[in-house]
Parts: sequence; structure tokens; C-alpha cells
Amino acid sequence: MSAWQDLVTASLLGTERAAVPVIPVPGSPRLDGAPADPAALVLDHAALLTAARRGGRQPGRAGPAAGTAAEPETAPVVSRAAGRRLARLLGGEHAELLPEWLTTAAGRGRRVPAVLLPALLHQARRAAVAGPELQRLTAAAGGSRARWLAGLNAEWSFVLAYAPADEDAWRLGDAAQRRGYLAALRARDPGAARELIAASWDAAGPGERVMFLGAIADRLSLADEPLLDGALDDRHTGVRTTAAALLAALPGSGLSARMAGLARECLWLDPGPPARLVVSPPGECSAAMRRDGITPVAGARAGLGVNRDLLLLAVIARTPVRTWTDRFGMRPAEILDLPPGSWAPVLFAGWSRAAISQRDQEWMAALTNLALTRGLPAWLGPAGVSGPGTLRLLARHVDPALITPGPGAGVAGPVGAAIRDALDTLRFRYQMVRELEDDDGAG
Amino acid sequence: MAERWDRARVLALAPDASAQRAARSLASRPSWPAAGSGPDLLWGECRGSASAPYQTAVDLSGPAYRCSCPSRKFPCKHALALLLLWTDGMVPPEAGGPPGWAAAWLAGREARAGRSAPGQPGELKDPKMAARRAGQREARVASGLAELDRWLCDQVRQGLAVSQQAGYRHWDDIAARMVDAQAPAVAERLRGLAAVPHSGPGWDGRLLEEYALLRLLAVAYRRQDGLPPPLWETVRSRVGFSVRQADVLAGGEPVRDHWQVLGRRDTDQDRVRARRTWLHGRTTGRPALVLSFAPAGSDLDDSLTAGTETEADLVFYPGAVPLRAIVAARHDTVRSGPPGGDTVTGLLARYAAALARDPWLDSWPAVLEVTPARSPAPVVSDAAGDALPLHPEAGPGWTLLALSGGHPVTVAAEWTPRGLWPLTAWDEGGRAVPL
Repeated sequence: MSAWQDLVTASLLGTERAAVPVIPVPGSPRLDGAPADPAALVLDHAALLTAARRGGRQPGRAGPAAGTAAEPETAPVVSRAAGRRLARLLGGEHAELLPEWLTTAAGRGRRVPAVLLPALLHQARRAAVAGPELQRLTAAAGGSRARWLAGLNAEWSFVLAYAPADEDAWRLGDAAQRRGYLAALRARDPGAARELIAASWDAAGPGERVMFLGAIADRLSLADEPLLDGALDDRHTGVRTTAAALLAALPGSGLSARMAGLARECLWLDPGPPARLVVSPPGECSAAMRRDGITPVAGARAGLGVNRDLLLLAVIARTPVRTWTDRFGMRPAEILDLPPGSWAPVLFAGWSRAAISQRDQEWMAALTNLALTRGLPAWLGPAGVSGPGTLRLLARHVDPALITPGPGAGVAGPVGAAIRDALDTLRFRYQMVRELEDDDGAG
Repeated sequence: MAERWDRARVLALAPDASAQRAARSLASRPSWPAAGSGPDLLWGECRGSASAPYQTAVDLSGPAYRCSCPSRKFPCKHALALLLLWTDGMVPPEAGGPPGWAAAWLAGREARAGRSAPGQPGELKDPKMAARRAGQREARVASGLAELDRWLCDQVRQGLAVSQQAGYRHWDDIAARMVDAQAPAVAERLRGLAAVPHSGPGWDGRLLEEYALLRLLAVAYRRQDGLPPPLWETVRSRVGFSVRQADVLAGGEPVRDHWQVLGRRDTDQDRVRARRTWLHGRTTGRPALVLSFAPAGSDLDDSLTAGTETEADLVFYPGAVPLRAIVAARHDTVRSGPPGGDTVTGLLARYAAALARDPWLDSWPAVLEVTPARSPAPVVSDAAGDALPLHPEAGPGWTLLALSGGHPVTVAAEWTPRGLWPLTAWDEGGRAVPL
């Protein structure tokens, strides 16, 4: 409306300098007692036009962008309770459990409620460098709505990299697209993904090799061992340590057997009576041990050679936990009942790491219950390894249904605080998993 | 109203340090279910250990104090707390004048001081006192608005271009004068204008609109006699005369309906949090707005939740377009599905009709059946292809987009001259999602 623009221009310049435009307001009453002051006249005209423009506003026309809708969803949405918990996770409460929520939801063929997708996509984008895993899980649990949103916001385009794509994404795509293609292939056909990696290995740089190993971690099996074992001789430390960690998580691998052989020399059962554990840590870090990903750390005092606590911890953590149950003929809880001696903190940390990476729920539960009921410095105390830190990891991985809260929560000091934190995490996860199994059908 | 004191001046009145401490801990609005101020007078009721609240009043011209508490300290912690509350700007001016007990005390003081005709007991002077004070306020507002009118004309005479370089002081100064003139709503509006010159393209037009509507208000106040009574009420409320809830309840007709809660919007302004909750009467089709306030940092009233429906009696504040209402009685609350959605042209027509009665109306409730999109700014469009922009400060609208997936959704929003401000959307399951 040019009359309005004329008024705005006059008021910008000021009526001292600009003439007051003549405003033909259709049907406007004559301004009775029209003020002589040109400024007042501008304001009065402007008031009339403001009301006229607001009241007479015409709608715009929808652009062509308004045409495309999201494809129908194939997966049902999670229960309402699960959605509320996801909102809490996205709000920062137990944020470290977000990947587990997404994994469980995707594993049960459920999807994220649409209303929470913007917050989830935002977090997954920020996690781009640190954890492509969160992006993969977001794509897996986000449904078609997440793909639709990714098409509208370039910052979220990582979702599209995980959609089934043709081989161009692999041959011509950038790093994120190649990672997405590989992850999707691995989920669909693990063997084909392995062959693709093997064929591409020699041409890939160290960063991409680590990415390859990240893709292998999903649906890991003994069939992957030759590839991983070869990677132990890689020139780059990052590649070697990643490969060693994956092999240690794979009971039955050559690396696991080598570690078990070493471990049997370090820890055995004295039948007694009374029965007790006897510990003799390795005295040196051999070349073979280094190849298997163990890095010697200098001892606390000069002249003592390597830190034998940490060497023992590294060996136990890479040894299949079933080695001990088979060899002693005892259940994990029974082994943990034996008098532990002064090596207890190292054994606790080593067994915990092994049980977590090998996903052995019976061992994880026994270790967690031990910490919660007898959360004593003897097991969790200071010995160069962090008992509270280990307990935190256990609480994030053990099946919460196997845990019986004990009196450890009453313990004072940092150990008691760690136990209370662990119980809090376990309770949160217990409810989280139940809600994700629930089906309230309400949508 | 006397100029506000600072805290140090109030605390210096305390008889000892423990009274200071006690007063500080009482100086929060939740401790004071009722508090108000008039020229030179503060009054309030303070929740204490006794079953009845203590009645506290302070005559600022003395200062002099009165409190129904048994304390022998003078001034007591209640009087000090009331003063502290006032220095924090949390004792609002009350147009209706002080309650009987405070007016009686003040009249008694004035009688003893020989400032008023002798021989009359205080109580009998109440109505006269109140009328005198109300008259004083009208006069102050009138001269304040005349000053505002001159200021507005000066702005247009000198040119709005200079206001892009002006700091907040430019508007704060005239706003402060409107506070002194007891036109608090005008002051609030002026303070908000400081952001306009930095609000992007079109700022000059928006500033001119605001100035023009403020002058319209000043002129309307001057021409009180020519206005229909409802419009006069609208003018008074936009100036900042508050109407006591008791008077609204006594003067208005209760409207019984099933009120659907459409959504709400919270704002923080100058140490006070405000919540605007929009309702829609299922049978009457009437829109309603319920306001609630709380001091910064406290929780707001949470009893009206979007997606529910309450059978209630609402009493509307008087005005040309009665929107603001009090929930006088509530009978039953149930969860309800999405309200019926309007079209874009329907909304614009309804807003235009309301605007014809109240030209200052700049937020109007909308329930639309629309598809959100980005082009690239966020817009919504209805089945006929008519589109409206979202308010540029309402955020990027991703939640609304995610909910819709490109399909039509029911959205409750505030329609403003700058665009739609979405409040609530209903998901596929018919549940309300606050935006």
C-alpha cells in the first residue's frame, strides 16, 4: 500500500523536513477538529491506516514447498511412557543412556514420537565428531518422519546417509555418506560389508580404517576375525587398538585364547581350605602382548619396571570371563565370594571390563551385586584403578532385572555415592526397558 | 505516588538487625496474598502464624506504620517487608483505592494531624476519600497522556530515523514519566518499543504503528465523553487502570460453558512473570483470556492445561471486545480432543470484526486446520491454499513441522500483526502438544 509507505517515509524524515502526504483513506470519517500540527496529522492518518491494514489483511498463497508430505510410517511409535522418558534423556537426564534407548527402540521395531525428533536430530548433529553411532541410531529409530525432516534441514542430512542407497554413495560420496552406506550394508548383509571393507582396506587411510572397524563392531562375529587379526599389524596405533578391543570382545578369537593362556599363569584357585584366589601378575610386557593391544605403563617408583597392576588388569580385561567359571567349576557369584586378597580392586575392574565387552550378563550381574551389597573398599577401594568408574560402567550395561539392591547404598564417602548413582542409573534403565517393551496402543 | 525508595533507605528504618533479616525473608509476593498502593499509601495482608492474615499499612508521607501483628518492634517486620516489596515494584497501584481498614487508619491520621475537617470519625470519610484519590489519579493520567501526546508528535516531527541510534534510555525516560502519571500499561508498552528499531526490515513502519496507536489512546482518553461505555473501559484498561477482581465478579454476568483450553504463553516482564491462557467456549463460541501473575522465580498457576476442557463460570472484564476473564467457579475438568479448526480467511475475518471494536487489539486466539511448511520462512497454509507467516520471534517451528509431517494439523495460536505465534498442536492421537 503506497499511501502507508508515503506516511512511513514522511515520519522517518520528520515533518520538519518532509511534507505530510495526502492520504485517501476510503470511507474514513473526516478528522474532526483536525490538528494543525503536521506531526499529529501523520500520527492520526497512521492510526487509521494501521487499523485498516490489520483488519484488511489478505492471506498469502502457499508456495510449492508445501506440497510434499512424509511417507507413511512402517514402524509403530513407542509407548507414551517411553516417549516421556526419551524427552527426559534429551533434556540431559542420564544423557549417556540415549544410545541404549534408541538401540532398544529400534531393536523392537519402534520409532521415536514425531514431536521429539527435532531435539533428537539436534543432539545427534552435535555428536557428529564424537559419536557417529548416535547418528546411525537416530536414523534407525527416527522413522520416515526423520528422513522427511532431514530433507528440509541441511544440518540433519546425516539421516539420509543411513537410508538404503545405491553404490554411488560409496564410490562418490563424502565420508558421512560412505559411513552411512557401510552401516546400512552391515545391518542388511554383514558378510557383504566385510568383503567390501577387505577389498577397500589397502586403499583407505588410517581414519577411514578406524571407521571401517566401527562398522564391523555392529553384528561382530568370528567370521570377522581374520580381517581384525590382520589389523593388529597396522602401522597406526588407532587402528591397532580398535582391532584389539574388538577381538577381545569376541570369545573364541585367537587373541582371547592368547590372553586366557597368559591369565591362567596369573590367577589360580588354591582349594584350601579355606579356598582362596592366588594372584601373580605378569612381570613384563612381551612383544606378543604389545601386538595384542597392551601398552606397558611405567611403575610408580623408578626402577620397578612396568606397572604390574595395570598389566594384570589389561590381561584379565581381554580374557574371556568364561575362562574362570569353566576352570574353577564355579558360578561367577561363587568366585566373587572367595577371599580376594589385596588384588581385589584389579580383579574387579578387569572382570568388569571383560564382562561388559563380552556382554556376559551373569558376570556383570554378579559383579554389580557384589558392589551394591558389599560395596567395600576391599573391592572398590583405591589401587590405581577407579572402582566407582567401573561401577558406573557396569550400571550402564548390566541387565537391571538381575540386580538386587543391597545395603551398600548406606556406605559413606565416595564409594557410597558411587553406589547410589549406580542404583539410580539401574532404576532408570529398568523402567526405560519396561516402557519400551510396553505397548499402550494409544500411539 | 511517591517516588520509589531504594532498599537501603527501607532497611535503615529497621529497629535492629533481626528485624531486617525477618523483613527480607517476608518480602516476597507469596507471603502477601493481597497488596496494593495508592498515592503515599501502601497496604497489604501478610500470611503469618495466626489464622487471620496481618493487616499492614504504611503512610509514605510520614512515614507512619500500622500493623495488626502483636510485635512491639516499630516498625515491625511486616511493615518493612511491605516497603521492600514496594521498592521491588511488586506492590501494584490499585485504582479502587485502599480497603476499609487502611482507609480508616489513614483518615484517622489525617484527622489527628489536622489535615482534614475535625470532628468526623474516619470510617465515615471513606467514600469521600476514595473519590478524592480517584479524582487525583484521573487528573494525573490526563496530564501524563497529554505529555505523551506531545512527546509522540515530537518524535514524528524530528523523524523516526534518529531512533535507530537512540538507546533504551530514550523510551525508558518517557516510560518512567508514565509510571509517575499512574499509566502503567502505557509505560510497559513504551518500554517494549526500545527493541523495535532493531527488529529487522520494516521496523520503521512498526514503530509508526505503535506511536500512532499510542496517540490514538491519548486522544481517546481525552475524549472520554464521546466514547461508548465499553470502549471507555477498553481505553482505561489499556492505560493501566486495574479493575479489582471483586468488582469484576460483582458487576459481570457469569458465562457458563465448556471451556476448551487452547494453549498458553508465558512472558517475563520486569520481575513479574505473566501467563496468558486462551480458552474457547464450546457452546458460546466465545474466546477468553485468563491472565495469571507470579514474581520472577516462582511457579505460575498451572490449573488450566492445554488439551483439557473445563466446565466453568467465567466472568469477563468490561470492554469493547471482552476477552480477559476470571474463572469464577469451576465444576468439572475432562480431557478433550482437538477443537474444531478454522480457515485462514475465517480467522482474518473474525480478527477484523474484533479490531473494528477495539483498534488496539493485537493478539487474537486462532484455531486453524493447517499444514506447516518453510518457504524458507515458516508459514502455515490451509486446504484452500491461503497462507499465514509465523511470528518471526516464535522460533523456527521445527516441532510443528515434525508433528505434521507435511499433513494438516490442528494448531492453536495467537494471531498478531507480525504473524502467528503457535501455542499448541494436536498429534495424530488427538493429544495436545505444547509448542
